[in-house]
Amino acid sequence: MTRLAPGSFAWLARHELRLAWRGRRRSGKRQVLALVLLGLYLVAGTTVAYFLMGVPIDYRAEIGIGILAASVVALSFMTTQAILGSQQTLYESRDLDLLLTAPIEGRVVLLAKLAGIAGMIVLTYGGLLLPVVVPVAILGHPHLLGVVALLVALALSAAAIGIAITLALASIAGPRAARTVGQVAAAVLGGALFLVSQLSHGGQGRQSSFVVVFRDLRAWGWGESGWSGVPGHAAFGDPVSLAILLAIGVALFTGTGAVLQRLFLSGYQDAGMRLSGTRPTGKASARLFHAGLFRSVLAKEWRLLARDPGLVFQIILRLVYLVPLMLVAFRGGGGLIAPGLAFASVLVATQLTGSFAWLAVSGEDAPELIAVAPVDKARVDQAKLAAALLMAAPIAALLPIAIATVGRSPLGALVSLIATAIGGTIAGYIELKLAKPGQRSAFAKRRGGSAIAGILVMIVAAIFGGGAAAIVYFIG
Amino acid sequence: MTEALRIRGLAKAFDKPVITGLDLDIAGGQLYALLGPNGAGKTTTLRMVTGLTRPDAGSIEIFGVNALADPIAAKAITAWLPDEPMLYDKLSPLEYLAFVAGLWRMDPHVASEEAERLLHWLDLWEQRDTRCENFSRGMKQKVALAAALIHDPKLLILDEPLTGLDAAMARSVKDALREQVERGKTVIVTTHILEVAERMADRIGIIGGGKLLAEGTLDELRDRAGTEGMTLEDTFIRLTSGA
Repeated sequence: MTRLAPGSFAWLARHELRLAWRGRRRSGKRQVLALVLLGLYLVAGTTVAYFLMGVPIDYRAEIGIGILAASVVALSFMTTQAILGSQQTLYESRDLDLLLTAPIEGRVVLLAKLAGIAGMIVLTYGGLLLPVVVPVAILGHPHLLGVVALLVALALSAAAIGIAITLALASIAGPRAARTVGQVAAAVLGGALFLVSQLSHGGQGRQSSFVVVFRDLRAWGWGESGWSGVPGHAAFGDPVSLAILLAIGVALFTGTGAVLQRLFLSGYQDAGMRLSGTRPTGKASARLFHAGLFRSVLAKEWRLLARDPGLVFQIILRLVYLVPLMLVAFRGGGGLIAPGLAFASVLVATQLTGSFAWLAVSGEDAPELIAVAPVDKARVDQAKLAAALLMAAPIAALLPIAIATVGRSPLGALVSLIATAIGGTIAGYIELKLAKPGQRSAFAKRRGGSAIAGILVMIVAAIFGGGAAAIVYFIG
Repeated sequence: MTEALRIRGLAKAFDKPVITGLDLDIAGGQLYALLGPNGAGKTTTLRMVTGLTRPDAGSIEIFGVNALADPIAAKAITAWLPDEPMLYDKLSPLEYLAFVAGLWRMDPHVASEEAERLLHWLDLWEQRDTRCENFSRGMKQKVALAAALIHDPKLLILDEPLTGLDAAMARSVKDALREQVERGKTVIVTTHILEVAERMADRIGIIGGGKLLAEGTLDELRDRAGTEGMTLEDTFIRLTSGA
């Protein structure tokens, strides 16, 4: 750290990037595997570039629309990543105490944090794009290096938007609620484009919604010139378009630093961004904890979950991601509604019960307390599985009820209910036996601990969901 | 002599008032222990002094510098060590000290020499290139202490610096703090270990109910509480019992 002036923005930004890079690096075999995959990808990209050497790649309106659409989608995903990165850097990294007691302007700290987030976005998407784009550009199509500048402009914009959303949420709802709402916003943003495209073209039969959108945009003249053509022209190296996009990115980036520095500092100084602190629990009762093992376990699991809204939202979001699947199931017309709901019912139940079982068993915050307590471990596990099933039951029962009412198939509803109960129980049992222990806070990453459990749960969902759908279909 | 810390009318409320019109003067070149029951506002007071929490009212001067009007100048001569060390797990002690020195805009060569001296002094030189992620709490505390000292602050503020340390680690930290005082620096510590305050502190302040309940040397506090010949623990309980 000798070339850059200590304490300057560039110096601090480099520190943030270094931390982010080290945080991402894997050790041992994973690192080797990642490098091998990257190498193979680079070889594939170079091969593609070789075959494209003599092929002219010129700008057309269709390509412009494609790049515009890709840019919008990428920006939504980048903003999602930026929101999550902002939350991590503001609420979890704990280094703001150090940075804000140093004799450095808060604006510089905020900009450096932004640079770190933007850098990680560039790294993420650069890893996907550059092994293909750079060889193609080098082997005869240098104008396509504009894609790199487009990527940087999008990353700068996404970082600024992401941290602005996070700070605004923290200002309105407070840091604790902002984390939860931010995670929800990030997930919704990530899936919003797909959902909107599905919902807005729901009545056009089996034709891909993306094809419909593309056709509409082409008809409106998008992608040729004007602002809708700017991303495409920039990707093809047009200097004016590049200048416009980079100027927007830099303006958003620096503007965020200037405008939000007060919000950033005052938010931290007024309450501290750390999520510590106490909160009254309302009317609490210890009565349920004196009512035997099963009710004690159920009361404890229920209260822990109910008092952690972030976790509740994470679980519910898993269901949100199932919505596109359900929409696809409904596309075929009225005949597929009941079987589709039967399949979705089992899918929802396995997801929910698996999540609750993981939280109850693997996410146990006090395993040593349970281990030294004078109770049978197997009975505790059974109680936890029952607790998971009971917590999942109210939501899992909704779709069988819908089959009985909307689908007008009481028998189908019964079949779905049985399949849902069996599938959910097996999914919970799999989590009980196979899932790796972890912190409740690591819920979102739990699949990294036991891929086998995840695969088995999906297989169970497919078997019981498919079976239920088939039976419901044939019984009409 | 300019006072190291001068606080007037300091107030802060979160959900309820925490500090209500605190006045405090701490002379330079001494070790000052700030005591108080749990939730008395010790940490909040020190976070306001270091600029991490914004007071609702009042003034703070650090060696004559208005910390609210000119926070950068005040921060330049202050170091803050919270109860939980704030280290980057992925950095080594040497890298961490270089980073902190950079934040205080130290000359890199001077910083490098000072880092080596501090790491030798705190018996961390062998681990200088090991990432902090696997360090014990005590080692992390010592790295954080080295970071707090590297820019040679005139005022060193430590929140519960001995919590969780074993006897040997605690001893070396206490020695380090005394040495700072002997070099003319001012050290403010909060602690729940009253024996530490009793043995180490030149003066003791006791906060309760958002105000300064009592302040002085141990003998002065005993006189005030009517606990002559008794321990600081007895004196502390007597003084805070009504707070």
